[in-house]
Amino acid sequence: MEILELNNISKSFGAIKALDDVTLSLRSGEVLGLMGDNGAGKSTLIKIIAGNFKQSSGTINFENQKVEFSKPMEARDKGIEVVYQDLALCDNLTAASNIFLTREIKRNFGLIKIINFSEMFKRAKDIFKDLKSETLPDEEVKMMSGGQRQAVAIGRTKLSKAKVVLLDEPTAAISVRQVAEVLELIKQLKNQGIAVVIISHRMPDVFAVSDRIAVLRRGQLVANKLAKESSPEEVTALITGAIEKA
Amino acid sequence: MTEQTLEKNKKKIKISNLHEIGLLIALILVLLLFSFTTENFFTQRNFTSILRSASYVGLIAFPMTFVLITREIDISVGPSVAWSGLFFVILIKWYDFSYFSSAVIVILWGILLGYFIGIARTKLFIPTFITTLALWSALRGYSLFVTEGRPIAISNKEFRYLFGGDILGLPTVTWIMLGAFLVFWFASKYTVTGTNFYAVGGNPKAARNIGINVDRVKILALIGTSLFSAIVGILFVARVSSGNANLADGMEFDVIAAVVVGGTALAGAVGTMTGTLLGCVFIAMISNGLIHWGIDPDLNKVVKGIIIFLAVVINSNVTFKSNSGGPKED
Repeated sequence: MEILELNNISKSFGAIKALDDVTLSLRSGEVLGLMGDNGAGKSTLIKIIAGNFKQSSGTINFENQKVEFSKPMEARDKGIEVVYQDLALCDNLTAASNIFLTREIKRNFGLIKIINFSEMFKRAKDIFKDLKSETLPDEEVKMMSGGQRQAVAIGRTKLSKAKVVLLDEPTAAISVRQVAEVLELIKQLKNQGIAVVIISHRMPDVFAVSDRIAVLRRGQLVANKLAKESSPEEVTALITGAIEKA
Repeated sequence: MTEQTLEKNKKKIKISNLHEIGLLIALILVLLLFSFTTENFFTQRNFTSILRSASYVGLIAFPMTFVLITREIDISVGPSVAWSGLFFVILIKWYDFSYFSSAVIVILWGILLGYFIGIARTKLFIPTFITTLALWSALRGYSLFVTEGRPIAISNKEFRYLFGGDILGLPTVTWIMLGAFLVFWFASKYTVTGTNFYAVGGNPKAARNIGINVDRVKILALIGTSLFSAIVGILFVARVSSGNANLADGMEFDVIAAVVVGGTALAGAVGTMTGTLLGCVFIAMISNGLIHWGIDPDLNKVVKGIIIFLAVVINSNVTFKSNSGGPKED
């Protein structure tokens, strides 16, 4: 089933055309690797899907219904979550507190609402178990490795029962061993029927998890094909413009 | 692997409590030192006196802990206390307000002042240090101007006995402080509001992205210190039966020193109410003990200056060490 369809999306910032007639769709349980050089329009596309920007023209269908998001909250409510490159975690809070931030589980004592830590720890533990991550719910994030931090950020999307997860450079700035950990997290999301879009510059990482590869160049979609029918060499050529279209 | 992580976890718990345990040990050592070197330090009366001054400081130090955690500061609390007390007395003496309605007006004033500092910070982007520095000068200056530097006396025995005296062997202000401590301790540990202070201090950008109203959290923290400065102003009046423009001189220093000695980082994000409580008692005990040693009050200030410097050195080292065990590459 197509969960997300982008039809003829264009976006202009003044005279600059950041996206030009992009048509792309995404299925549940599919991992799409979105590639392109700096300024190719990847971030703009992600921001349109996430509700940060509004497209200049074109339509978006989510679960076969036309949607228009005027702010990120609306996209999030529908089940579209973004995990940003800088992760947006509070180092001084525990993993569970980070996952539940603004959505804390509370117990009512008359007028006073108390955070139910034991329930939050329990639920966070289940989330990490689902993600097959060894992250401890009651550990402060500042003590964690890059892979564990990604698990916390992705764990937050699990809490909202996201159907589409957009990952912005999830494997940048972490060690080789942790990359494997993060790729495993992405596979777990896929196995649970979640559609994942991963933006990355790291070719091997993208090919390791993606079912399909889409390449943007100067705002235009120049490739949209199955990963097994493409190759890193071809994608590199598409990004740089050595191959016009594939 | 799991065992390793567990081991790491145990170590982390040790580090986060290290400061409070260290401070408690330091407190006991200072207590023993003064007890054995002076005659009148280890007496019930003197302990009551230490508790009393720690309580006035503590009432402002608890909200100040939240302010520092959210990466802000309020240095106007000393003059704010003096002006609030004076304002309270002026309303009673010059405008014939009742004690109760005067107190309500002064408390509302405190809330409004904090709101102003918060709005200046979040809407006009003026650092709280600058706004409160301006207030530090303006409030003291205006207090001196209005009174021409002379105290304004009031005489109301009930008010003095109730709020300036003792209840069940402890100063009233100490009971109020302990009540405030419980509320702040509880809020910091078990409420969403408390968590939001830490989240905003830990990563303001992330907090905003996730949907926390960062501006509102900061304004709330700043209302806290101003509100409690107003309350302490009234309690001071009850103690000394007058409004005085020179009251609470240098109190901002004692409050911030107590919070920092208690382990709260000036850079924000880190700090506990228990630490602040210990810090208040520590600062009050040192001030008191030095007087018993017969050290000049001016030199007393030098010693306090050295203590706050050392506290920051220790604090930042502990923080640094616990951080360096953090996001590692493997």
